[in-house]
Amino acid sequence: MGYFIDFAYDTLNKKNEELCGDNIEIIETDDHFIFILADGLGSGVKANILSTMTTKIAGTMLRQGASIEQTMETIASTLPVCNVRKLAYSTFAILKISKEGKAHIVEYDSPPIFFIRDNKYLELNKKERIIQGKKILETEAQLLKGDTLVLISDGAIHAGVGGVLNLGWQWDNVGNYLINQAKIEKCAKVISKKLIDTCFFFYNEQPGDDTSTIVVRIREPEITQIFSGPPKDKKDDVRVVEQFLKGKGKKVVCGGTAANIVSRETKKEIFVDYKSGTAQVPPTARIDGIDLVTEGVITLSKVLEYMEGYLVDTHLKPSPWNSAVKDGALSLMKLLIEDSTHVHFWVGKAINPAHQNPNLPMDMSIKIQIIQKISALLEAMGKIVTIEYY
Amino acid sequence: MKTINVCIGSACHLKGAYDVINRIELLIKEKGLGDRVTLKGAFCLGECTKAVSVRIDDGPIHSLAIKDVDNFIVEHIL
Repeated sequence: MGYFIDFAYDTLNKKNEELCGDNIEIIETDDHFIFILADGLGSGVKANILSTMTTKIAGTMLRQGASIEQTMETIASTLPVCNVRKLAYSTFAILKISKEGKAHIVEYDSPPIFFIRDNKYLELNKKERIIQGKKILETEAQLLKGDTLVLISDGAIHAGVGGVLNLGWQWDNVGNYLINQAKIEKCAKVISKKLIDTCFFFYNEQPGDDTSTIVVRIREPEITQIFSGPPKDKKDDVRVVEQFLKGKGKKVVCGGTAANIVSRETKKEIFVDYKSGTAQVPPTARIDGIDLVTEGVITLSKVLEYMEGYLVDTHLKPSPWNSAVKDGALSLMKLLIEDSTHVHFWVGKAINPAHQNPNLPMDMSIKIQIIQKISALLEAMGKIVTIEYY
Repeated sequence: MKTINVCIGSACHLKGAYDVINRIELLIKEKGLGDRVTLKGAFCLGECTKAVSVRIDDGPIHSLAIKDVDNFIVEHIL
């Protein structure tokens, strides 16, 4: 099928609680992804134990190929009974996706999963089954590129209840919000964080319940190759540029010397759009066949700075690249966050003799560290990042 | 027709290439030099110790600070 499963999750603890009563488990096996979200009865330690046991049992058993009956049976007979309510209870939703794109969804008392296709809900043909006296809903579906599946705990549906919203956010409204987000955002992590930040806002920053979400998107793999800095050994210039240009996907050159090398080896001229510069970020340039050409260390450190703030308090915050003033760092960040599922950095280790200037206010050798930090942030957003040094 | 290349590489940017470019652009406009010079940005001219590096056509590389720009234009263009 040739798709990429982009997934992310976020959680909010009920106010004054150190532990979340919801639990999320994500497992990747050779042929499946398994996503489990459980919401334990009550809150705090008790709920945390119930939900953790549920996700761990389900995760371990399903990974080994156990049936849903066996799993339910084990969960039902293992969960400790709550002393107050005389119940052993944790709701859960399980989404199992095979590498061929077949989805198997199991829901037990959880809010219905949001299955978004072509900007609307897909009506799911859910089958009801009674196992161990408990009613579960099961669905099988073939996934397509562009599908978005979202699992939530009821904390999201109740967000704001009795406070800013009389009846809480409610399932339909959450769904409409997600349909809109699925339209405007590409990255699962951004949708997940926005949903959770919006819940936090409705709760007036005092969540009345544990709230959690898992967002799964079926995406076309989008690869970006970033060539940054000249090889340590000048003799490798030809080989590295050749390999870089042969790589799949979009091509980005980050760095003046790197751009000069690419221009020399491809015999294509560099056109600097000097009007695209700002006082903070140097201008970008164009080389025929390269998607983006920027300066190196200053632009990259600005990308890192933007990215560190990007997922903080996302409620109602527009994407920075929609602002009127665009610079090279914003263009690069948009490409990395929105338009990439896989990023490969080609990092040259040459020490630029020209940068050995004590008058420079900034240590130029920090480029490699900046790239490593950017990589870590991208990985936290669910992207596959590789770095190659030469 | 002369081409003024201003380096906008990392070192030159930190040393004020952005201001130098804006100043040259303004002078070209004010003095009506648009039909005699083209202003271009250049990636690293390889003389980072001389930031901000400026070169006219294929000539030698000059090191300019913002305060030198006006004299430079008078000397080399007018």
